Amino acid sequence: MIESRRITEVIPPPMPDREPLLSISNLKVHFNAGTARVVKAVDGVSLDIFKGETLGLVGESGCGKSTLGRAILRLIEPTSGQVNYRGRNLSTLSAREMRDERRHLQVIFQDPYASLNPRMTVGQIIREPLETYRLARGAEAERRVQDLMETVGLSKRFVKRYPHEFSGGQRQRIGIARALAVEPDFIVADEPISALDVSIQAQIMNLLERLKREKNLTYLFISHDLRAVRHVSDRVAVMYLGKLVELTGAKRIYDEPLMPYTRALISAVPVPDPIVEAERRRTVLDGDVPSPMNPPAGCRFHTRCPYAIRQCKEIEPRLDQIKPEHLAACIRISPSQPDIERVAAGEAPGLNS
Amino acid sequence: MLSNGTLLEVRDLKTYFRTDDGTVKAVDGVSFKLQRGETLGIVGESGSGKSVTNLSIIRLIPDPPGRIIGGEILFAGQDLLELPEEKVREIRGRRISMIFQDPMTSLNPFMKISQQLMEMTQLHLGHNKAQAFDHAVRMLKTVGIPDARARANDYPHEFSGGMRQRVMIAMALSCEPELLIADEPTTALDVTIQAQILELIRRLKQETGTSVILITHDLGVVAGMTDHVVVMYAGKVFERARTRDLFGTPGNPYTRGLLRSVPDPTAEQGKLYQIPGLPPDVAHLKPGCPFAPRCDRVADICNREFPPFVKLAAEHYSLCHFAEDVYRDRQSAPSDHSRHHSNQGYNV
Repeated sequence: MIESRRITEVIPPPMPDREPLLSISNLKVHFNAGTARVVKAVDGVSLDIFKGETLGLVGESGCGKSTLGRAILRLIEPTSGQVNYRGRNLSTLSAREMRDERRHLQVIFQDPYASLNPRMTVGQIIREPLETYRLARGAEAERRVQDLMETVGLSKRFVKRYPHEFSGGQRQRIGIARALAVEPDFIVADEPISALDVSIQAQIMNLLERLKREKNLTYLFISHDLRAVRHVSDRVAVMYLGKLVELTGAKRIYDEPLMPYTRALISAVPVPDPIVEAERRRTVLDGDVPSPMNPPAGCRFHTRCPYAIRQCKEIEPRLDQIKPEHLAACIRISPSQPDIERVAAGEAPGLNS
Repeated sequence: MLSNGTLLEVRDLKTYFRTDDGTVKAVDGVSFKLQRGETLGIVGESGSGKSVTNLSIIRLIPDPPGRIIGGEILFAGQDLLELPEEKVREIRGRRISMIFQDPMTSLNPFMKISQQLMEMTQLHLGHNKAQAFDHAVRMLKTVGIPDARARANDYPHEFSGGMRQRVMIAMALSCEPELLIADEPTTALDVTIQAQILELIRRLKQETGTSVILITHDLGVVAGMTDHVVVMYAGKVFERARTRDLFGTPGNPYTRGLLRSVPDPTAEQGKLYQIPGLPPDVAHLKPGCPFAPRCDRVADICNREFPPFVKLAAEHYSLCHFAEDVYRDRQSAPSDHSRHHSNQGYNV
C-alpha cells in the first residue's frame, strides 16, 4: 500500500561514508566497427552507486548511457574496467557465476514488447525466472506470480493472456513484475517510460518509486528525459560521448549545473508553463552530437561548447570534485572558480588545481 | 462566411475506421479554428485522434478502412471535403504542407536531397531546373544546413536525424504554404536538437507568417510554441482554449490531470499525480463520458450521459458535466493524492 500523505522526505546527500552497492571503475566498452575503426561507446567511467539510492543517468542518444547500463550487468561484455558488487568483481566471474549474480541485478527495458516473449502468457513470463533460479515451483510459484501481478497493478485475471493483448504501460508492468520475481537488490531501468503516453509515464514512475521503498531497491534510472530523471533520482550523472561529465544531487543538477553541457540540456527542456516559456532565455546549442566513432579530441563537448578555448581541444578534462558532492569535467572551472560565467576569458583554472 | 483572420475552420469532423472489431470513431465531432499567422497545438495521447484529424485535413485518410463521414474543413473559405482529388493535390504541398515525426520515412532514400526539394517547386511553382536548384539551396540555407550547396547533393542517410528534420522543413516551406502541419516534429529527436528545431519553426513562422498546427504529446512544447490549444481524448475535443488560459485555468479534469502529471523540475514534488487507468478502446465506447472511468471528478451522470461542450470564457470550451466547477476550482486542487491510491493495484 502507498501512504496517502504526500511524501516529501528530504533527499539525503550522498554520503561518502555510505557503502556503495556497486562500484564501477574505469569501465570501457569499445565496439569494433569494421577495420581499424572502434566506437568507444563507454570510455572510462567510474561511479559508485549507493544502496537504496536512485542514480539517474542522463544523456542524448549515442552518449553510451544504455551501453553503460548493460555493461554493468555484463549483458554487454566490457572491454576493460571493473564492476564491484558486494565485494566481488563481476568482470572476472564465469558465465555461470555471473548468471547466479544476475539474480540480484535485474533490468527493465524501454520497449517491453520487444523484451517479452510473444508466445508466453503473462503468467509464464513472470514465472520463468522463479523456476530458472529455483525460487519457487508449483502452487507456490503460482501464488508468487499472482502476488507480483498485484504488486505492479495488473489484475490476476490476466494471468493467461499474451503480451500483445496489453497496452504499452501494462507491458511495462509485466516487465517490472518479471524483474521483481527474483527479488533483486539492483535494477537498471533503461528508458522505462520513454515509449509511454504522458498519463502512463506518471503511473510507472510512481510504481517504481513505491517498489523501491517497499522492497529496498537500488536503481540506475537511464533516460534522456531530464524532467523524469530529476523527479525520480537522488543523484544524477550526465553523460556525453562515452564519458561522465557531471555528477551531483538531483536538485542541485537542476538548480546549479556546473557544466556548459548540462546547462544547455536543462535549457533545452521545454517547461509546461506558457508564461515561463515566453520569458526564459534559451541556450540553443549549435550542431549535432559528434559521432562516437570519431569523437573530438580534448573535451568531447568542445565542438558545441560556447565557452570552449584552445586548451579544451587538447586537454581531456578529468571528472573532479568542484563543490562538495558535486563533480564536473571541465578545465575552465575549479573549486575556487566554479562559475564558468565568471571565469576570465581564455582562462582555465581547472588546469592549476 | 469566414472572418478575415480565419485560415482554417474544422466543423464537426467525423472520421471513422471500419475494423473487424467494429467501427472505430477515431475522430468524432471535432471543431476548431485557426487564425492566420497563429499556431494551434493539438495535444493528446496515442489513440486520441490527433493525427487522424491532421490526416483528414489534408485528405490523406486511407479509404478503406478509413472514411471521413461528416463535417466541413474550410480552408480559406473553401470546403476541402467538397473538392475533387486533383484540386486537393494542388493545395497539398503548395498551400498546406506537412512534416512528420520521422523524416526518414517521408524522404525518398534513393533521391538526392536537392532532387526532392526541386520536385516541389517544379511541380507547384513551375520552376525550371536551374531555378529549382537555386531555390533548393536557398531553402537549405534558410533552415540552417551548413555548406548547403554541397550538401544538396547528398542522400537522406548522409544526414543526422536533426538535419533530416531540417530538410523536411525546407521541403515543407519551399512553396511558402499558408498552413504548415507539424505532426510530432521533434518527438524522435534529442532535447538539444529538439530545441534547435523548435527555434527554427518559431523563426520561420515569424519570417513567413505561415500558420502552424503543431501536434504533440508534450505539454512543454505546447506551452512554448502555441497560441491556442485543442486537447483531444478518445476522438473528441475535451478542451479548447488560448494557451495561457488552458495552462492557467484548465476547465477539464483530463487537462488538469495531464498538467499535474508532468514532473516540475523546479519543485520538490514527492509523489507525482497520476491519472489512473488506461485510455479507452475507441471501438467500444460506453455511453457517457469516455474519460469517466479515470476521472477524479466523476459522478453518476458521467457514466450515463455524454457531457456538454461548455463555454467557460471567451474562446475557452470544455467537454465536461462539471466544466464550470473544475474551471473555478483551480486553487483547491483537491485530494489529488489520496484518491487514487486505492486504485493502484487494480487500475487495469
